[in-house]
Amino acid sequence: MTVALNFPRQHLKRMKIIQNRKGYDLKLQGAPSDDLVSLSAPATVAVLPERIPYIKPRLRVKVGDPVQVGSVLYEDKTDPRVGFVSPGGGKVVDIVFGPRRVIREIVIQLDSEETYAIFPILTADELEGISREDLVNRLLAGGVWPYLRELPYRKIADPDVEPPAIMVGLDGREPFQPNPESYLNDETRPLIQYGLNALKRLSDKVLVYTDPRFSNLCRTFKAELTHTIAGHYPADDPGVLLYHIRRRPDENRTWFIHGQDLLVLARFLSEGRYPTERLYVVAGSAAAERQHVRSRLGAPLQHLVLSAPTCPEPRYVVGGVLRGYTGEPNGHIGLYETSVVVLPEATEREFVTLFRPGFNKPTRSRTFASSIKGAPMIMDTNINGGRRACIACGYCSDVCPVDILPQMTLKSILAEEVEEYLAHGLLDCVECGLCSYVCPSKIELVETFCQTKFDYHKEQVS
Amino acid sequence: MNPVRRFFDGLHPHVSPGGKYEKLYAFYESIETVFFAPLERTRRLPAVRDSLDVKRYMFLVIVALIPHLCFGIYNAGYFARMASGLSLAPVPVVLTGLWLVMPMVIVTYVVGFFWEILFATIRKHEISEGLFVTCMLFPLTLPPATPLWQVALGISFGIVIGKEIFGGTGRNFLNPALTARAFLYFAYPVSLSGDNVWSVLVGGAERYVDGYTAATPLSVAAATPDGQTVEAALEALGYSPLELFFGFYPGSVGGTTTFLSILGAIFMIVLGIASWRTILGGVLGVLATAYFLNFIAGPESMPFLSLKPYYHLLIGGSAFALVYMTTDPVSGTHMKGVKWFYGFMCGLLTVLIRVFNPAFPEGVGLAILFMNCFNPLLDYIEIKIRTRRRVPNV
Repeated sequence: MTVALNFPRQHLKRMKIIQNRKGYDLKLQGAPSDDLVSLSAPATVAVLPERIPYIKPRLRVKVGDPVQVGSVLYEDKTDPRVGFVSPGGGKVVDIVFGPRRVIREIVIQLDSEETYAIFPILTADELEGISREDLVNRLLAGGVWPYLRELPYRKIADPDVEPPAIMVGLDGREPFQPNPESYLNDETRPLIQYGLNALKRLSDKVLVYTDPRFSNLCRTFKAELTHTIAGHYPADDPGVLLYHIRRRPDENRTWFIHGQDLLVLARFLSEGRYPTERLYVVAGSAAAERQHVRSRLGAPLQHLVLSAPTCPEPRYVVGGVLRGYTGEPNGHIGLYETSVVVLPEATEREFVTLFRPGFNKPTRSRTFASSIKGAPMIMDTNINGGRRACIACGYCSDVCPVDILPQMTLKSILAEEVEEYLAHGLLDCVECGLCSYVCPSKIELVETFCQTKFDYHKEQVS
Repeated sequence: MNPVRRFFDGLHPHVSPGGKYEKLYAFYESIETVFFAPLERTRRLPAVRDSLDVKRYMFLVIVALIPHLCFGIYNAGYFARMASGLSLAPVPVVLTGLWLVMPMVIVTYVVGFFWEILFATIRKHEISEGLFVTCMLFPLTLPPATPLWQVALGISFGIVIGKEIFGGTGRNFLNPALTARAFLYFAYPVSLSGDNVWSVLVGGAERYVDGYTAATPLSVAAATPDGQTVEAALEALGYSPLELFFGFYPGSVGGTTTFLSILGAIFMIVLGIASWRTILGGVLGVLATAYFLNFIAGPESMPFLSLKPYYHLLIGGSAFALVYMTTDPVSGTHMKGVKWFYGFMCGLLTVLIRVFNPAFPEGVGLAILFMNCFNPLLDYIEIKIRTRRRVPNV
């Protein structure tokens, strides 16, 4: 006879250690240094509604309107309580539309003296007594609610739902993200504790995790951390942690927030105004200065990279090379992104690559001589091959951190076998991009998965 | 400017849409990308991609097969000259071998490309590099005496029926090279089996010289009279284990050498382009089945049952097929776990067909084709088991 020992998990004070055995760390040259430069205020800042997934933006301002820091620029049509606020005080100078009138950017020219929308301050004591509803309303009103997101779709959390848990990731593994130890330290610890207390008003279970290689961070936040997760990229992803620790299907709707965003949320509540400062990294082999920069939320990319890139045709990848999008050179950085990686565009067709050992060809496989040395290499934006049919090499399944079988799942998506691809775990996809990265047939796996998740979600809500 | 680049740039207008030979674009692309890495920028995430592409993947398999081709040329030339009673000096042997083997290889590639270009043009896709490998494998499995028109017919069947009618590379469930080989075997048994197809007569000779044994080790093994061991019967004909290991006996062009197959297996496993699970499963399947047959063999039973297990990997094309044919990623199992089972069953069936079916001296090709048919089911079972273990997310 077995006796079930059923301890409530949050009462166990021991930290859980998890190992992510799959995934892959890119051998990418151009890592940022730990130097931190504080930049002066840029001329303009912007918000990018196009880059917020799963919302239908409705403008609340027009060109010429004066705005304060923290005044609402646009809202989500599907839930108008979710507003997106201005990261700067000044005047709306431009609203950039893309094809089919998608709103690309709302650009604000900064005044020399910016004014702030003022919100009530919430002291630590008041936080203890505040009702969940009151707190939710404050976060919604202040425009910091969009930092809380919901798995599996990674859309903005539904304010009316109490999540099974909230995960706080104090980590950034993707090439390249800011070193979390530069903004999570003894100085900001009280703020993080305050933020975690706020999150505890939203959910009974708040999980805090990081990578054990951040030893200082682990020491500082020893009392707060509930999990460490080691291993290759994307071990930092909340979806990967959830995949390792979940026991029941209802845990799939867990919320998450990143460490830097939690600081924003805590600052907003404790200071009563919308924080506009952000820590970014500028990296990539074509970036002239690779470093951490402190600047404004929504700053122009050109302002962040400081000097002209070192190659004639640069590409600005905003938000990491695997998940990030291609930014316009004269564009701005979005709400969630914390990095600008400058890569050289592919321009040349190399002669007889096929017959070369390839000492400088980055690859996860062992088919180039570069796999012996393992040093970081320059990568450009070439897809590095012709598009072919799937040859079932299985590399995508080897790297998938949540054990989806990407090549099988793709086939069931193409066959529109909804039950089948859901059973494969399509919704668990953490959108890390590794399957598309390793595919020798150059199949756009992750893009198809993201789109299928989006379409499936659309079908569910309508 | 690079002269090769200039050559391709000169051709390009003719094969582009509107050009005189626009239908040959797929062929042009296929050859041009051998010389110049393709250039296409990422438009979707992720912004960077791995350097490996299908062309390099398949090209490396060809690299592993080149030693087999060279050995096959030498071996075919050697036994042709020996059977015809000519000198066995290296240079004439190689020349004879080239004269015998290269036409088969060239015919295979020309006919194979013809079908692939035809289907690629109609379906408007690029030529998949799997074709290069199929066309290299197929002649290596043939007897050196195969008439060229049969070579052409065989590869046509393999490419069209074995692959293209299912939608082309990636969608076929049978190994195209083996399909081609099996087709020829059943369609033209006279010119593809028996003892007289493995050594070609050259230089005007009309029959094998006296004392020349054209029998392959497999046919010796199957025909060993009771009361004698197969090992002794082989030894009596000069087939020592070492000779068998290196493949110096009449047989298919490149498939006789276990030594080169092992080197090829190591090469492909180290580079990660062949599944070690399948190969090891296959070797285990052969050995385990042969041990089992040794175990059940009584004094009355035929000598083939008592053959030392490792001999099954030395004679015939089993080593070659287990290394190069089972590991075709498309027609093999796609899931990792069942690769063991797939490999094992290929090995098991090979030995059973060899020993118990007098109609087929070699069983490995049929065993693999038979197991290919089960692979979708094996994959299905493993996927079912894996998805059942998942916490559902719907």
